Amino acid sequence: MSVGVQPSHPRRRRWRGAAQALAAAIALTIAALPARAATADLYGPKAADAVKGGTLTFGSLVEPPGLDPYHQAADGRIRFTVLMYQGLFYESETGQAVPLLATGYEVSPDGLVYTIKLRDGVKFHTGQPMTAKDVAYSYNYLRDPKNGSPGAGDLTLIQSIDAIDDATVRITLSKPNGALPMTLGNKYGGVVPAGYFDAADAKQAFNTKSVGTGPFKLAEFKPNSHLALVKNDAYWEAGAPYLDRINILFIPNSASMIVALRNKRVDLALLTRPQDIQQVVKAPGLVMERWPSLNQKALDLGSELSPLGDPRVRQAIALSIDKDEIMRAAVGGYGKVIGTMVPAMQDAWGAPLDQLANQKVDIEKAKKLLADAGHSDLKLTLTTINGYDWMDPAAVTMKQQLAKAGIDLNIQRVDLGVWIKNFQSKQMGFTFNDWATQPDPHLLYYRHFHKAPEGADFRNWNNAEASALLDKGLGETDQAKRKAIYVDFQKILAESVPTVMLFSADHVSVRNENVMNYTQHPTGWFFGLARAYIKK
Amino acid sequence: MGGYLARRLAASAVTAFVASIAVFLIVRAVPGDVVAQMLGQVSDPQAAASLRGFLGLDQPVWIQYGRWISAVFSGDLGTSWTGGRPVGPAVFDAFLVTLEIGLLTLALATIVGVPLGIVSGIYEGRWPDNLIQIFNLLGLAAPVFWTGLMLLVAVSSFAGWSPPLIYASPAESLWDNLSILMLPILSLGLLQAAAYSQFVRQNVVTSLNQDYVRTARAKGVTIRILFFTHILKNILIPLITFMGLVLVQILGGVVIVETLFSIPGLGRLLISAIETRDYPMLQGALLVVVVTAMAVNLIIDLLYSVIDPRVRLS
Repeated sequence: MSVGVQPSHPRRRRWRGAAQALAAAIALTIAALPARAATADLYGPKAADAVKGGTLTFGSLVEPPGLDPYHQAADGRIRFTVLMYQGLFYESETGQAVPLLATGYEVSPDGLVYTIKLRDGVKFHTGQPMTAKDVAYSYNYLRDPKNGSPGAGDLTLIQSIDAIDDATVRITLSKPNGALPMTLGNKYGGVVPAGYFDAADAKQAFNTKSVGTGPFKLAEFKPNSHLALVKNDAYWEAGAPYLDRINILFIPNSASMIVALRNKRVDLALLTRPQDIQQVVKAPGLVMERWPSLNQKALDLGSELSPLGDPRVRQAIALSIDKDEIMRAAVGGYGKVIGTMVPAMQDAWGAPLDQLANQKVDIEKAKKLLADAGHSDLKLTLTTINGYDWMDPAAVTMKQQLAKAGIDLNIQRVDLGVWIKNFQSKQMGFTFNDWATQPDPHLLYYRHFHKAPEGADFRNWNNAEASALLDKGLGETDQAKRKAIYVDFQKILAESVPTVMLFSADHVSVRNENVMNYTQHPTGWFFGLARAYIKK
Repeated sequence: MGGYLARRLAASAVTAFVASIAVFLIVRAVPGDVVAQMLGQVSDPQAAASLRGFLGLDQPVWIQYGRWISAVFSGDLGTSWTGGRPVGPAVFDAFLVTLEIGLLTLALATIVGVPLGIVSGIYEGRWPDNLIQIFNLLGLAAPVFWTGLMLLVAVSSFAGWSPPLIYASPAESLWDNLSILMLPILSLGLLQAAAYSQFVRQNVVTSLNQDYVRTARAKGVTIRILFFTHILKNILIPLITFMGLVLVQILGGVVIVETLFSIPGLGRLLISAIETRDYPMLQGALLVVVVTAMAVNLIIDLLYSVIDPRVRLS
């Protein structure tokens, strides 16, 4: 933690770097109980003395293209629709699936049948009560490829979803899937009334009327302007949410956002560029907070690009990189250096950093590896993406670092569309990448790193041992065993270097000092608005 | 006149048709795969193929164009791919906002720029001219985004005020509407006023050196009478031509100010449609921009004959 204001809340100190293990141990003895209890809370900690009512104005640099939780893949959509639509489980901040519209579940001994009990007294925004029929309908719609949901791919292992009675659903799988509860979360879909999609204009209607079960209802959505949410008075959780209304303003320009924050036109916003954050850090009446994220800024090494197919070359590159220096250059210190796991999940799923290979700079070893591989005067071209501010300073810093090992780096920038095309056709080469995950190791790793055809294996890694571990992890439902499997996987990942996970940028929120009890979820989604209130 | 108008309209229709093909192809020339972008980084190939089919992108380009243009002729600009809303009403709403900004900016630029240019031209080489030239230079040199940003920061720091962020139409609240549009109009208007002033100055200076002016002055006609009865009439035609150019330039400038000040106009609509590769929205918005530019030109041409009876529209 180098720059800026220190976090003030115990929960915000949940950085798990080795250097902070001692501090964490002390914190555990002093303030662990409330903090631990808080993490188990849905959407963030409840506030005993919350003031009810009021309107919060939220500034968003990103705009949702639409509000259809079934067909719209943009992260800008998910951030807001999680407040209106709910899945069976909640993606807890530490990487566990916590029952949301479910209350609990049982798994058959063969791991193929999940019997899920549903919460009682849940009503849709339309007023009708939610039953198992609605749940079965919603997830069956989501997983049917004919319906064209980008979320269908996560549910392919599901064979059937049936309503047993009003309060119970049974999900049958073709193969055990330890990540199933997490895929029944809030990213895609959400439970809607059975038959909802029978109406011809159902998809479009998501933009004018919400039909979920969440704490807020849609009041108005005006593209290129704003989104207004109002409190769901019939919400199933007693006393929640606290706010009457949230006005979300789309402000595409960060200079205008800063002016709006300073002038109190906006109560709360997330900022991404360090130079913007520094402008409001000292502004009177504003509070800046940093939160761990599920995001990773990575350097990908596609094996299709010679000589990156040689593991020695990849290892040499990893050994030449000082991640901390790159992080400071790229995001001004508002981030956390990582090994093979994103910070928010490090505790629950990450391999300890000291057990991972190729994490510390060792130029001599790098040079030797390159010489052994016959690439002492290696020339490489690094691809960066237009519009990703962090990549330019990171690329220049890395060029200097690699030069020490005798690697000459050329930098080329491409448009996002071009980059995605290369990425999907598995021609990514040597490139920076910026991606995030849902908080589950299977969802984080499988598609990216399992060999084809089961996984997409974007980096042409084609590692049988790693793929076998990913299969094993998928089939395991016991938490402790799952963790051990994924730790083994991470060791291979660090040793063989298909990717170098550089660092994770913090979520940085800036709020008016009157806005209380807001916590930022590591996904970047705005669950925390369901727990925020305005001090009178 | 009637025949001229008919011919111009027919020519405009042909131009619009050609422009529609250009718009359609340009939109598709933007690099990047729209389906990949819509589905995100780790999309499923099967989902991508089905979405491609759903959007009609698996068809040859000329079939896609045929479908689009025949729908346009029946008054349907299509449906946005990303938001699912109809393009026609969305573009129309945004157009009204931009039109208001455009007309108010034009009014401001004219009211400020024309008198400055006249004074500057009459006092050529003397201190009022020098002072106005400095203004012109600053106005022309400062990019719109910089002027806008400086105005925003200055007003916010010194007056502790910034414009409301939820757009209100004049019908909803005229006061809110004007306070939202004030800074964007100022930042666009100052640039155009400087351009105007420079242009008018040049024309006034040229007119003052004409033989008929010298003769009139020699016969004792005062500069005031000379100006209002002769010079102004003579510079009106170039002024109107320039007004058309300015209006089209403003249409370009709104892309910047609308993004800077969070105004839901055509410029911002275009930017977000480009970012999300929302082809129907982008095509609809671009088509409206092209048709507007053509309409402005047509109106200017028609105005010539009203102002100067010597111009025969035939």
